Amino acid sequence: MTAIAWQRRRAAAGATWREFASQRGGLVGLVGLAVITLLALLAPWVTDASGLDVTRVTARPWEPPSSTYWLGTDHNGRSVLLLTWWGTRISLVVGLAATVLSVLIGTVVGIAAAHFGGWVSAVLMRFTDFFLVLPSLVLAIALSTVLPRGLGTIVLAIGVTAWPATARLVRAQTLAVEARPFIERARALGGGHGHVIGRHVLPAVLPLVFVNTTLTVASAIVAESTLSFLGLGDPTRVSWGSLLHAANMHGAVSQRAWWFLVPPGLGVVCVVLAFTLCGRALETVLNPRLKGER
Amino acid sequence: MGIRRFGAVTAVAALVVLPVPTPAQAQQAVTLRVAITQQVDSLNPFLSVFQAGTEVGRLMYDYLTAYDVKDQHPVEGLADRWESSPDRLTWTFHVPEGKKWSDGQPITAKDAAFTYDLMMRDEVAATANGSFTAEFESVTATDDRTLVIKTKQPQATMLALDVPIVPAHVWSKVTDIAEYRNDRTPVVGSGPFVLTEYRANEFIRFKANKDYWRGAPKYDELTFTYYKTADAAVQALTKGEVDLVNRMGPAQFDSLKDSEGITRNQAQGRRFNEIVINSGAATRTGEPIGDGHPALKDVVVRRAIAKALDLDAIIAKVNGGYAQRGTGPIPPVFADYHFKPESPYPYDPAAANADLDRAGYARGADGIRVSPEGRRMQLRLLGHASRAYDEQTAEFVKRSLAELGIVVDVQIVSDNQLNEAGTAGTFDLQFSGWGTNPDPDFILSLHTCGQRPNADGKGGTTDTFFCDPEYDALYAQQRAEFDPAKRRELVRRMQQRFYDQVPAVVLGYDNALEAYRSDKFASFPVQPDPGGVIMAQNGVWGYYGATPVASAGQDGGSNTGLVLGVVAGALVVLVGGVWLVGRRRGLRAEDRE
Amino acid sequence: MIRHLAGKVGGALVSLLFVVALGFLLFRVIPGDPVVAMTRGRPVTGDQLAELRARLGVDKPLTEQFVDYLAAAVRGDFGTSYVYSRPVLELIGERLWPTVLLTGTSTVLAVVIGLWLGIRGAWRRGSRSDRISTGLALAQWAMPTFWLGMLLSLATGDLFPSGGMRYPDTPPDFLSQSLDVAHHMVLPCLTMIAVVYAQYLLVMRSSLLEEMHADYLTTARAKGLRDDLVRRRHAVPNALLPTVTLVFLHLGLVVSGAITVETVFSWPGLGLLTYEALTGPDLPLLQGTFVVLAGAVITMNVFADLLYRVLDPRVRAS
Repeated sequence: MTAIAWQRRRAAAGATWREFASQRGGLVGLVGLAVITLLALLAPWVTDASGLDVTRVTARPWEPPSSTYWLGTDHNGRSVLLLTWWGTRISLVVGLAATVLSVLIGTVVGIAAAHFGGWVSAVLMRFTDFFLVLPSLVLAIALSTVLPRGLGTIVLAIGVTAWPATARLVRAQTLAVEARPFIERARALGGGHGHVIGRHVLPAVLPLVFVNTTLTVASAIVAESTLSFLGLGDPTRVSWGSLLHAANMHGAVSQRAWWFLVPPGLGVVCVVLAFTLCGRALETVLNPRLKGER
Repeated sequence: MGIRRFGAVTAVAALVVLPVPTPAQAQQAVTLRVAITQQVDSLNPFLSVFQAGTEVGRLMYDYLTAYDVKDQHPVEGLADRWESSPDRLTWTFHVPEGKKWSDGQPITAKDAAFTYDLMMRDEVAATANGSFTAEFESVTATDDRTLVIKTKQPQATMLALDVPIVPAHVWSKVTDIAEYRNDRTPVVGSGPFVLTEYRANEFIRFKANKDYWRGAPKYDELTFTYYKTADAAVQALTKGEVDLVNRMGPAQFDSLKDSEGITRNQAQGRRFNEIVINSGAATRTGEPIGDGHPALKDVVVRRAIAKALDLDAIIAKVNGGYAQRGTGPIPPVFADYHFKPESPYPYDPAAANADLDRAGYARGADGIRVSPEGRRMQLRLLGHASRAYDEQTAEFVKRSLAELGIVVDVQIVSDNQLNEAGTAGTFDLQFSGWGTNPDPDFILSLHTCGQRPNADGKGGTTDTFFCDPEYDALYAQQRAEFDPAKRRELVRRMQQRFYDQVPAVVLGYDNALEAYRSDKFASFPVQPDPGGVIMAQNGVWGYYGATPVASAGQDGGSNTGLVLGVVAGALVVLVGGVWLVGRRRGLRAEDRE
Repeated sequence: MIRHLAGKVGGALVSLLFVVALGFLLFRVIPGDPVVAMTRGRPVTGDQLAELRARLGVDKPLTEQFVDYLAAAVRGDFGTSYVYSRPVLELIGERLWPTVLLTGTSTVLAVVIGLWLGIRGAWRRGSRSDRISTGLALAQWAMPTFWLGMLLSLATGDLFPSGGMRYPDTPPDFLSQSLDVAHHMVLPCLTMIAVVYAQYLLVMRSSLLEEMHADYLTTARAKGLRDDLVRRRHAVPNALLPTVTLVFLHLGLVVSGAITVETVFSWPGLGLLTYEALTGPDLPLLQGTFVVLAGAVITMNVFADLLYRVLDPRVRAS
């Protein structure tokens, strides 16, 4: 690739960024994400992880918020603030990993379905449509019941249920790109499948995939919390979903222990909202039809 | 205008959340409303295995004998007298005259004979309680009053036959036990209550059997309402939706401490929790199976584990203090058989470490011990995903054993996976727990060689794969021993052996935590008395003997009133109205066009 | 049209078969002996275990079990629940109507509220009320359903029943019973509406916005038609189409909502049944609810497609 092409791309990226920055919602989302990610990354340095160990607990269980425990304590006497803070890490990791998996499957299936055409496309689209209508939570529940408990299972369960939307999107975009004359030219010049997909289709599809990723993370995090809430998560790790599961199991509602219930849920809402706002802003930037509408 | 409409919605919403007055019930019937958090799996007593299901069975059907409310010794059930032959193989029960089914038919020995016979003939009928009749040779009603049971070998549970006796005149018409749901109300029974309504997963309603031979219950109706969680049940109790709740968690129990009108009952439970140690899983023929850590075959290691576990800390933190320290598999509620070791394992990590050092388990460079055979001391600990106890206790175990230089990988799995690993011996440490009966036979039998699975890994209900000639010999002796004092001593020696060999560490005996509306019910009989439970007894004394306070009956519970009707109506009107207005405007616009 | 219909129904049937097969594969992957789980904690003999296995058919090889299962599934027989010892289909039948009642009511209300707010938002795009309602919708969409439910039940305290569908001691007449059910339904219904309506609002709003740029609207305005007339007669009906389709397409979301909401509020429906089947797990039951829930969504999608054809003159003509 020539230097000019790079320059052009850089310029285009700059323009995209300026446009994105002009959207208030998107910026708010981005800043929120940055803050949350930073907090998650810093947790091991800023906080004392031994506070998560139930065997070292000194506080009483179900203590309401106080100056020592800003968000009170859980059923084991652990600080809810600390738990929620650490929960961010698992929730984010699971959300991102599941999204990467799902977007990967979706992109591969989508490009393959559009590029190869014929029966491959027919079979793949049939497959995609099938998974698209299947209620994803039900399938995810089934998967995580069947497989051994653990983070990997949750990631897998969410990843393999969330991809069909991406696949459809990518397929449509690939079809649009491949209909353009330069693809025909590339083919005429002897470009194989690898060349066409790698050099032309992928670069054209990636921005869209990126937008899609942002939006998928949001639903993946909600899915994680739901599965964990139903008791299908990894019980040995603290995530927002597992905290809510514990709150439900141990009677936060009957104790009126709002401090155990509110923070993890609020965490989910914040992260999901941040991703959604970013995603919507990106969508507006990258999809000219929507410009000026949101 | 939008704001106005929104205002209307808000107003309606406000109406909805107005406290709804509770109308007094039409009749002054007193109802005991019980919250249950466990499913009733079946109303068919031959199929029901869940605790809630068997309890419903007990309410409807008496057993041949009952357990005394004070100390659980056998007392009159359907039979009032019994004797056994000197060889303990023939038992004769006398069913007195005057007891009646709820449809007025007399209860005879033939009903009992029919029930047992059905279980011996029809394998489906043996689903729930087949173990009681498995060793029966024959059951005959020589006349309406006399039941004779012959067994193949002496059976210790002859006065603890937990089998609901069903009316022959109803059940003889049932052709397929598996399909019979027994929900055609009122269900003909012999117990203190008659089932009158059943809505699966919602509630079960009974009416008092006024002709019950022990005397009618002191109130009119009994309902069991199903709640998904103990938490929801506790909320229902504080709101006055139900009168009696059990299976509470420590935190919930604590939260009711100062609640007005609510009395709590901390009772000795019948359950124990344990950690099973894979001391060498093998089949019935002694073929080793599974992949347990070989070092666990060494009793020194098992004893070190027992010494390293801080049972008191687990009870304080995980059970909220509502449990007793564990020793043997029989909880202190059965005082006759409960085991109190003369020299209990102290909580002493230093001693445990010294023992391991002496036995050649040296610490490696990373501080983790290595067995003399060169295996790293890394153990898997399996727990039930469905039980919060396992998850929390696992943390304590992990930390305690870390101090011994043993790494623990906690794996929380589904009950199925755990049971599967348990049967296959593919575990090192595993959480387990059992509910126990007044007669210790069954719980002791779990650790005999014969309970190990057969060659293809099926069959047997071993808990620990324990196979010890001394233990088995004692087991056989106690089984044939009918002198209570001697049997007690044999059972004690069995548990001593179990305790010494440590195939499992019994962690503790959960208390049963219950609470009731004392503003509506003055008292409940507990079993055993004192210190016993109201619900989940060996019998139904708690429900049967509940005494309402003098003024009970006025409170119909928080019921829905007219206000709600108004609200529902208003909502419909509102939605309909919005739609109509929209349509009309559309029409007008069309006209104008 | 007929050919299209046949194609759609055929496709749905294939999907349904696929669901049944998937259900089987998923739940037989578990290396679990259900009989051990069923009998754990009570006295059983080895012979009893063997008998149970034979009765449940779990002692046969997997392929044979699969063939048996398929044949039975076609007859509507999904086996017997391990826990309840009753036919799965019967259990599902019992739980069906509470779920239909709850999801039906809340979907209808959510659609009404969502569409109405969406139309208003699009029309007054950028106004403060639009920004607020869109923001609120986004926030609600971001909320885990069960969390909202728990918060609601925490916040409302003693005003509503803590769970279930009715009290056992309500008089048996129709009015009292309906009121009792309505009382129990308030919180679960509110929870579901709150989470679902946002979706409809956002889609209605954006499809209306897209519609408003269409040439025919400019033409209509140029003809001198009043703005609200243009909106009501042209833009809204056209924008409604994708939204209606979406309502059906997103039934999966409603089903997910039902599982968690029913779990939080002990609502005795299919969602709670699914949750109950999880612990154990009760494989045939889970299999049954999986097939039924997935099947329902697939069927609804066919309806959505047909509805779309009936409603949209452009597709109808072709």
